[in-house]
Amino acid sequence: MAPSDRERFEHLVLPHLDDAYALAHYLLHDGHDAQDVVHDAVLRALRHFDTYRNGDARAWLLSIVRNCCHSWREQHRHTVAGRTAIHTDVERSPELPDPAMADQHAIQSSERDRLHRALATLPDEFREVIVLRELQELSYNQISIITGVPAGTVMSRLARARKRLASALELPVSEEG
Amino acid sequence: MQCEECRALLSAYLDGELMPEERDEVGQHLASCVSCAAEYESLAALSRRLRGGLDRPHAPETLKARIRADVARETSTVIPMSTTTPTVSSTRPTRLPWLGLAAAGLVIAALSAGTTAAIIHHRAATASVADQVVSSHIRSLLPGRLTDVASNDLHNVKPWFNGRIDFSPTVPRLDSLGFPLVGGRLDYAGGRPVAVVVYQHQQHVINVFSWPADGSSISPTLVRTEHGYHLMHWSDATGNFWTVSDLNLGQLNQFITLFAKAESEGEPK
Repeated sequence: MAPSDRERFEHLVLPHLDDAYALAHYLLHDGHDAQDVVHDAVLRALRHFDTYRNGDARAWLLSIVRNCCHSWREQHRHTVAGRTAIHTDVERSPELPDPAMADQHAIQSSERDRLHRALATLPDEFREVIVLRELQELSYNQISIITGVPAGTVMSRLARARKRLASALELPVSEEG
Repeated sequence: MQCEECRALLSAYLDGELMPEERDEVGQHLASCVSCAAEYESLAALSRRLRGGLDRPHAPETLKARIRADVARETSTVIPMSTTTPTVSSTRPTRLPWLGLAAAGLVIAALSAGTTAAIIHHRAATASVADQVVSSHIRSLLPGRLTDVASNDLHNVKPWFNGRIDFSPTVPRLDSLGFPLVGGRLDYAGGRPVAVVVYQHQQHVINVFSWPADGSSISPTLVRTEHGYHLMHWSDATGNFWTVSDLNLGQLNQFITLFAKAESEGEPK
């Protein structure tokens, strides 16, 4: 790889590691697995950087991360089946305790647990569109690139995912159509 | 527009993803239909709760460091593996040495040879301190390497250096400004033991390397950006400072301003 390509990669792709990790964390329900998968996905992205065509680098990386998450789940189908989907232990770097935020977290934790539990009840393809839209604030077009389905499907999936979540959280919505 | 049709579009309406005509039709329907408006309000409330309440996990610094190191390694081994010359494990292509000599020649024309030698020597020394500081930062992100003394209290961190190093490093308290203290450690750079004081901002680590003043006065300067880490240097009457972080430059500059200000105003007792 030419030094200029390496610089481009570092400049375009590496700034999105937090997004990549967040997506993997939500898809795999586990921080350690998410680290392994993101690491692997970024190296794949590097090796296939020639397939990147000046588009949205973030969406490009996230589509690779998503695919790696799916293959990872296929390979670990048996071990993952028994894992509880509720993860209330989103990890921080082990040597970095958050010094000032402990009380704040305690107050917010019950709402946070409720949301995470509701999200965990969704099927994978619903959960991923919620994460991509609500957490990462991506457009339908970007979500379409990442998930490999047409924007119209993104729209209907997101609508259904929201209805399910709203029912799980006992918000008043009409039945899923 | 009928209620059923409207409800199928509410989610996309909320996301601003409808075509203009559809958007207007939904908007008009919502203005006149109480039950669809209530449903829209539920979806909007759900969206607000998710955005406000879900965790946004950050990639651990150790993972970022590993990935950056691997990217550097994978891209540098592509340097041609020629049959005769053994590959040197350098991440930087050796820059045409004669160019440096030619440049030195030009300088010699203008300056005395002694001065030139001093400048070249100084530049080489600075480059190697910069390398050492960046390496130390990356090493510090490996598990268990960040601090020798881990504490958010400067009254633990500052005295820890007593007797371990021949000066007392500045340890300003910047918690309330968004940069909590994480701890301190000893390291070795530029041919001497140096104090490293560690801060964080969100999940980003900031290492501040310092050693005693040498009479130079350099305002904060971005020395280089490497693998996404910014290396900045400054010096004044209180000491020589280097700092490395993957914070964005604006935040890093803000940190340095606060650090230098707290340092010149003296530390709280």
